[in-house]
Amino acid sequence: MPQNNSIGEIQDSFKTLMLDHPDALNTPPTTIEENFIGNDGTLPARLKIYRNNIIGSLTDVMRATFPTIEKLVGEAFFEQTARSFILHNPPENGCLMLFGQGFDEFLKTFEPVQHLEYLPDIAKLELALNKAYYASDDNSFALHDLAQIDPEALNDLKLPLRDSVELIASNHQISKIREFAISGNDENAPEINGDEYLLVFRPQLQTEILELNPDEFFILTQFKDGKTLGESVLETLEKHPEFDIQAFLQKFISLETFSMQDTNR
Amino acid sequence: MTSSFSQIEEETLFPPAQIPNEPVGIGLRHEHYQDALETDLNLGWLEVHPENYFGGGTHRHYLKEYRKKHQLSLHAVGLSLGSDQPVNEEHLRNFKELIDIYQPFNVSDHASWSASGNAHLNDLLPLPYTQESLDKLARNVERTQEYFGRKILVENPSTYLAYQHNEMHEDAFMNRLAEMTGCSILLDLNNIYVQAHNHGYNAWEYIETIDKRHVGEMHLAGHIEEEFENKDGDTTTILIDTHNQHVKGDVWDLYEHAVQKVGVVPTLIEWDQDLPTLETLVGEADKARAIIAKHKEDLPNAAE
Repeated sequence: MPQNNSIGEIQDSFKTLMLDHPDALNTPPTTIEENFIGNDGTLPARLKIYRNNIIGSLTDVMRATFPTIEKLVGEAFFEQTARSFILHNPPENGCLMLFGQGFDEFLKTFEPVQHLEYLPDIAKLELALNKAYYASDDNSFALHDLAQIDPEALNDLKLPLRDSVELIASNHQISKIREFAISGNDENAPEINGDEYLLVFRPQLQTEILELNPDEFFILTQFKDGKTLGESVLETLEKHPEFDIQAFLQKFISLETFSMQDTNR
Repeated sequence: MTSSFSQIEEETLFPPAQIPNEPVGIGLRHEHYQDALETDLNLGWLEVHPENYFGGGTHRHYLKEYRKKHQLSLHAVGLSLGSDQPVNEEHLRNFKELIDIYQPFNVSDHASWSASGNAHLNDLLPLPYTQESLDKLARNVERTQEYFGRKILVENPSTYLAYQHNEMHEDAFMNRLAEMTGCSILLDLNNIYVQAHNHGYNAWEYIETIDKRHVGEMHLAGHIEEEFENKDGDTTTILIDTHNQHVKGDVWDLYEHAVQKVGVVPTLIEWDQDLPTLETLVGEADKARAIIAKHKEDLPNAAE
């Protein structure tokens, strides 16, 4: 029988089959049956090698990004959850470093883990850690850079966050749950409920998590949204009258939180 | 201005890119980062997958340190050269940035496809060996070479499925790709061995057919056997290219044959899963070096 499908049709059909449920391999569509050798009954087994490679390798990528989720739900259950995510959200290109984005939202709607309300925020934290690890090596804004700024221009100064920086607010104690899960220590389980404000960043080669006060979180969010130093301080003082801008700048510039780019000097 | 570590873009400490004097290299995976920095590796070069270094980040710090000491090959798995669609522009841009910074001596990917529409299936999927397929693959290879401003190498794949309507053998397909595009062939001996078993080729004839003028690099890796029943109840064995163990004896024999036929080209030991110690990897590299040494005198283009 001559080939009557174009390469595009075969590849499209192959993709659809790989992302279908596993039983679909036993009754492959005509496009696959007519184009591949395997009428000795081995076609489903051969297709399965590819499906296992695809899902297995992508599950490994997710396992590396979400170690806490895996600890919390267990290895087998994690695989099942990751598989479901992968089949509905396959990567869009061959760069997999950031694959898994959207897993936090996925967990919110994934029926079997609905009772674990803190899980999506844990996923968000692990995504932020992964993003920070691969973030570009932009230059940070240092204290001596601040000293060089004309005092009259300070009001209009913008302090954008570095590429590696992420801000996360949760009403669960996600950083403590993460530490507990990763330590593998069964004692001293943390409280699950309670607000946490977190800064995820990578000052040098290692990613770090820092717990913030609510006022610190608030003003960092203003900077992230592109507001000037003047606007940000005013809005922060309105909500947090005790806020100390000098101490804040000293602390967070030393932590290399702000980017040198677009400081609007 | 504080720089967290010196700006890679300004880096001028790298030895200029050249075909390594010492022909054997290993794939560097992040589990070995620290060991590889602390060991004085008796190796000509290192290989990495560029996809792990796109964007920026901590991995790049290590890559910079290795590149100061070693020649580098960027061996991609994500271009999807055989897809019925153009190579992803963003992928090309990210890849080119790495080439410009790290100055590899070789840049390569595979004769396979992964992407269809908006889904990237993250495996090296088989192509039919037809003129249509060759034309599409050649177009993407040309596009990539134009974008990079240099020749690339294309590797023969391991496959577990064969097409019914092939118009040529894989070896001839690879030769014609090289003739059409000017690309080089990255000859993976383990893949040839796997293909020979899975699809009934003769691995030795494959090497005889390959035009040695096009071969720019060789790869060696381990594979496993998987058995399943066919419809007559007989057992069918399929070899799977797993990169998770020592190179098999038969594959070493095939390599020796290829070295005699083609000559010495940069040779890579690949090991990507169930990683051994760095020492074990270097031990595999030593075996390749011993084979090269054994035939050095009667080789067509002996490297010294």
